[in-house]
Amino acid sequence: MRAEYVTSNIAIAEGAMASGLKFFAGYPITPTSDILEYLAEELPKRGGVVIQLEDEIASINAVIGASWAGAKAMTATSSPGYSLMVEALSFAIITETPLVVVYVMRAGPSTGVPTRSCQYDVFQVRYGSHGNYELPVLVPWSAQEAFDLTVKAFNVSEMLRVPTVILSDAMLAHTWEKVIIRNPSELKIISRRKPEVPPQEYMPFKPGEDLVPPMACFGDGYKVMVESLTHDERGYYSPTTEVQERMIRRLVEKVRRNSRLIIDYETYFTSSAEYIFFAYGSTARSVYALVKELRREGIRAGLYRPKALWPFDEGGLKKIASEAKRVFVVENNVGLMYKEVAQVLRDKEVISVGIIDLDVPSPDRIKEVISEWL
Amino acid sequence: MRREIIIAGRGGQGILLLGHVIGVAAAKFSNYYVTGTESYSAETRGGDSKAEIIVADSAEELGYMKVREADVAVFMYGDQLVKYSRLVKQGAVVFADSTFVTEVPEEGWVLKLAPYTKIAETELGTPRVANMVALGHLVGVTKLLSTEAVEKAIEHVVKKSWVELNKKAFRRGLGLASN
Repeated sequence: MRAEYVTSNIAIAEGAMASGLKFFAGYPITPTSDILEYLAEELPKRGGVVIQLEDEIASINAVIGASWAGAKAMTATSSPGYSLMVEALSFAIITETPLVVVYVMRAGPSTGVPTRSCQYDVFQVRYGSHGNYELPVLVPWSAQEAFDLTVKAFNVSEMLRVPTVILSDAMLAHTWEKVIIRNPSELKIISRRKPEVPPQEYMPFKPGEDLVPPMACFGDGYKVMVESLTHDERGYYSPTTEVQERMIRRLVEKVRRNSRLIIDYETYFTSSAEYIFFAYGSTARSVYALVKELRREGIRAGLYRPKALWPFDEGGLKKIASEAKRVFVVENNVGLMYKEVAQVLRDKEVISVGIIDLDVPSPDRIKEVISEWL
Repeated sequence: MRREIIIAGRGGQGILLLGHVIGVAAAKFSNYYVTGTESYSAETRGGDSKAEIIVADSAEELGYMKVREADVAVFMYGDQLVKYSRLVKQGAVVFADSTFVTEVPEEGWVLKLAPYTKIAETELGTPRVANMVALGHLVGVTKLLSTEAVEKAIEHVVKKSWVELNKKAFRRGLGLASN
């Protein structure tokens, strides 16, 4: 364990190495490139491989290959790069390939303001790929949490055999903070379950009770199938409604039923709060400061902050907001997660506080917008 | 305890390094929690350069990542003093390099002026360590960090061949506090 003064990007790189990262492939893109640069220096010293490829498509495909070779693998990109990765991500979902994608949001659409921040891609990250699936997305609000949630992202990805995303933003990416970097021996590190049956009995997509199939990788001595067509438990193409339904439902249910492994949140001053603020990532930092200010002014405000954006934590949010008079959803976009919150809290007055700021909405700006509802 | 610090000047004056040394000294070599943000223009010389650092006893106290009401400010150039004075609260301790800062508006600050660049140039042989003279002045007056923590941070951050000169400049700055 050691204390360092690092950015969230570096904290993510350190968290990945602590989790046992063995392969990283990426293509430079602002504001994410320093993850690639840092890992290129550090990962080889720890026996891992870093490769810069010709683009994001090649990068995520290389990561999929590395994962099937048995390595814990990761790539890192930002908004336009993720657009290029979504096709291969869909392949990773159907083939149940554990991997981690670091997604640092930057202001788009398209090249927009490449160096600056936003929270525009909270739906794209979840729904950008084709198909019907669940995709865990973790959303840190500090450099320390970037480290901690990276460890968690690897664990979730390995446990559930599902690509997992760490969703950061340009503001967090280059904010320096104190981070306690733990050694692997101080962390709970989970690796994918291997088959326990002899090779002749192994069926590559036959799930365990947790709905996750044990994973044999190339070289493990088992027959390995990496099939992107709809497949049965043996991994054979089966274009029937019955197999399709079984496969789709399992891909979704393995994440939903195990969502307690993913979902986590923090609350601040929410007991007896009249006004609940919903905020995530860097914006939650501003809301936290505002909530403290409002409390000092005698206004009963509280903050609910999800650490996992997807799957969406309906239960936790309902519980925390049950007594609230009004719920404000504050985000650095025109109001995206607002839709999700409003749908869950149908009997509440939910107000969208969408603020566009190339850094992060300031507490003063948020206060200005919400003051008419207090 | 929670302190907001803003450091601003022109590109090339070592603004970001000064901020980084404070961050490392506070986070790695003291028991504080720190948030630091930086902004700079595309030019390597002459543009705007700013470091914002928040130092607190606990991670909880950090909150919003940017400076709203600085308790401590360092201005290495006049233009940036004018531009960012709105972020400095009344009663703040404000350090300014009098080599370049000739006019200071009446803002109710506790003003600490010294010619950091001139001192660096004439006494230490190069204007490049003016930032460390300013850092010494800041630490000497505010006692925000220990001398040991800052010197360790300089050793940690600065290129080896420059460590001694930077430490010397820092100590020269400390001396300004007793004037």
